Amino acid sequence: MRAITAELSKLFSLLSVWVALAIGMIVPTAIAALNSVSTRKEIALGDHTAVGIDMGYQELAFGVIGAIIIGVVAISHEYFAESGESGGGRQITTSLIAIPSRLRFLFAKATAVAMVSAVLASAAAIATMAAIRIVLGDHAPEIGSEDVPRLAGIVCYWVLTALLAFGITVLTRHGIVPLAILIVNTSVVTVTYLLTRLTSLAYYFPDMAGIRMFIRNLEDSTVEIAPLVGGLVMTAWVAALLIIAAIVFCRRDA
Amino acid sequence: MSAEVARPHSREFVQALAAELSKLWSLPAVWLTLGGSLILNLVLAAAFVSAGLQDLTGTPNALDIGLASISYIQAGYIVLGIVASCSEYTGGQIRTTLTAMPRRSLQLIAAHLALTIVVVPAALITATSGVLLAAIALGDASAPVELGSTVGILAGVTGYLGLTTLISASFGVLLRRTLPAAIVVLGYTFIAGPILREQTTQAKYLPDTAGLAMWFPQPGDASALSPVHGATVLVAWTLGAFVVALAVYRKRDT
Amino acid sequence: MLTIHQLVKRRGSRTILSGISFQARSGRVTGFLGPNGAGKSSTLRILLGLDSATSGEALINGVPYARLRTPLATVGALLDGSGAHRARTGRAHLNWIARSAGLPRSRVDEVLATVGLTDAASQRVGSYSLGMGRRLGLAAALLGDPEVLILDEPVNGLDPEGIRWIRTLVRERAATGRTVLLSSHLMGELAETVDDVIVINQGRIVADGTLAEVIDGHGTLENAFFALTTPNGGRVAQ
Repeated sequence: MRAITAELSKLFSLLSVWVALAIGMIVPTAIAALNSVSTRKEIALGDHTAVGIDMGYQELAFGVIGAIIIGVVAISHEYFAESGESGGGRQITTSLIAIPSRLRFLFAKATAVAMVSAVLASAAAIATMAAIRIVLGDHAPEIGSEDVPRLAGIVCYWVLTALLAFGITVLTRHGIVPLAILIVNTSVVTVTYLLTRLTSLAYYFPDMAGIRMFIRNLEDSTVEIAPLVGGLVMTAWVAALLIIAAIVFCRRDA
Repeated sequence: MSAEVARPHSREFVQALAAELSKLWSLPAVWLTLGGSLILNLVLAAAFVSAGLQDLTGTPNALDIGLASISYIQAGYIVLGIVASCSEYTGGQIRTTLTAMPRRSLQLIAAHLALTIVVVPAALITATSGVLLAAIALGDASAPVELGSTVGILAGVTGYLGLTTLISASFGVLLRRTLPAAIVVLGYTFIAGPILREQTTQAKYLPDTAGLAMWFPQPGDASALSPVHGATVLVAWTLGAFVVALAVYRKRDT
Repeated sequence: MLTIHQLVKRRGSRTILSGISFQARSGRVTGFLGPNGAGKSSTLRILLGLDSATSGEALINGVPYARLRTPLATVGALLDGSGAHRARTGRAHLNWIARSAGLPRSRVDEVLATVGLTDAASQRVGSYSLGMGRRLGLAAALLGDPEVLILDEPVNGLDPEGIRWIRTLVRERAATGRTVLLSSHLMGELAETVDDVIVINQGRIVADGTLAEVIDGHGTLENAFFALTTPNGGRVAQ
């Protein structure tokens, strides 16, 4: 428990984490507001089908970049202190002396990352849905009981993506490669989506499966995956990656 | 004792350029990024070719399909620009650089010129390899591609990747840390930029959209920039970023 | 010869240097001492053109660093750490520095041999020990066979053989008429090496003279240092 508190305070001492929190909140809200303004114009022109079933949720899928940054930075800053001073000391040695059990260290860090991502996702979801309601007013889709599993799906998606980023960075140590790959894959047309044009197996990649938890209408989708199944597939990917990361981390030199 | 032998500025610049080229040559991250981008480009191009063969509407064009992956591979060049600049701030190397080459404008210009010299051939090879792969794989299925327009478009891609690398390098100089710089440039290029492109036609003057016009012509869109116009806009952005970076670099304490 | 004249450095509301002046003469080894945070590194960085001064001058043979036409042939500096990127090999690091000054590759081999890093030259700097990194930094400083040597804590991380080697190197260079400015925390070692001493405390020069003049009456350099820089003469609180 103390280890988790320590990891949380380490996270909040990083500027990048605060930037990630800001990005996670602002990006989906801003995009949703912009899209709502366009939608409102379309409704005014008489198009009543403009409000999609995934309104708000698609925008929240972009905001996951905040969770990615948190997952990457949480572990990469242990290894690389970039400053003008040549210092040389890496925080990882201090951290591992403080918590000799590497597994506990990694578990505490992963838990901290998951907790922060979950809170961020919840706050972002509230802000985004509120923005849509404010702009669209009466035309906004109703929030009912069917939305609860979808909102839970958003939170799961962000948490699992953060842990995915975390696991990859444990293996690579420097955050640039996982950060670049995951940001590119969060773009408007993701790489994994492109791969689905090639083979329907690509629908089972972690992000493609994971968005099923909250996206109901995936464009050109040839395979139907239930939300729960999508969530389980993504969880399986992340769990496998974290296990590999833990094994490698525990066995290699600091 | 050695006397102060007068060294003309031209000789000093050539020596600085040689030093900066030597730095890039001996930095493993440069080769890994360029090599990785080349390989990933071929992989993605192959995926696009498969998708193109399965798409039964219209004749696939080897040039279009071969270059479709460049939108993603540009991430590699962005990372290269940032890493090349930020590598100065590891281990206190910036102090070594500035004591060996105290005239900061000269040194920074030499550094960016060296980066250009390395990136342009690599970008040309990468782009051409993707197109060749598509041409060979599509064979007769491809619509005939004329040499003149191919050369023009390849020049456009190469120029685009080169300028993108230089803008990223300027961000690296400004922010000095790879992860924050990567978050800003990659986040803009893959998330903010495309969203803005959809929201307003004025976005065509933004660097990424203008740059796209250099090699992704949209003949159907009357308001889109011509390749030459797009190139001019992107060059202006690149110079602007460099001027800002240089101004900060000259005055900054290390 | 190095000349510091009325150097002032302010950062925000903090005054790091409040108008310091001193000289480091050629043919002599000058020791530069002070507690941590006294302004030693700031002075050296301003001297090397790395930081800018709020006012005042820092000149090398009468010229500010930024105007030296051949900096590496005039000044060799060893600051923090190795000054090298951890992913390059030691040799690659020295190679680019040599190219920037138009020095031949053979010079790189020479300085590697001088500091004893020939065997480790093809390994990544990241794998070097603290002492090896310092030796690499020293090799870089010696590349241009400079007239002036500025060394910030050079013996940090060196073994006894290395410490003696630095002392010999520094005295040799002074004997040939060159200038050496040397900062260190090891008083005993410094007392064996330097001719002149400059003590800085809280951004002000508190002593400036030959070794004998500064020690005057205190017995050892260490006693003199504590007498000059602490309120109770360095006595440990009971």
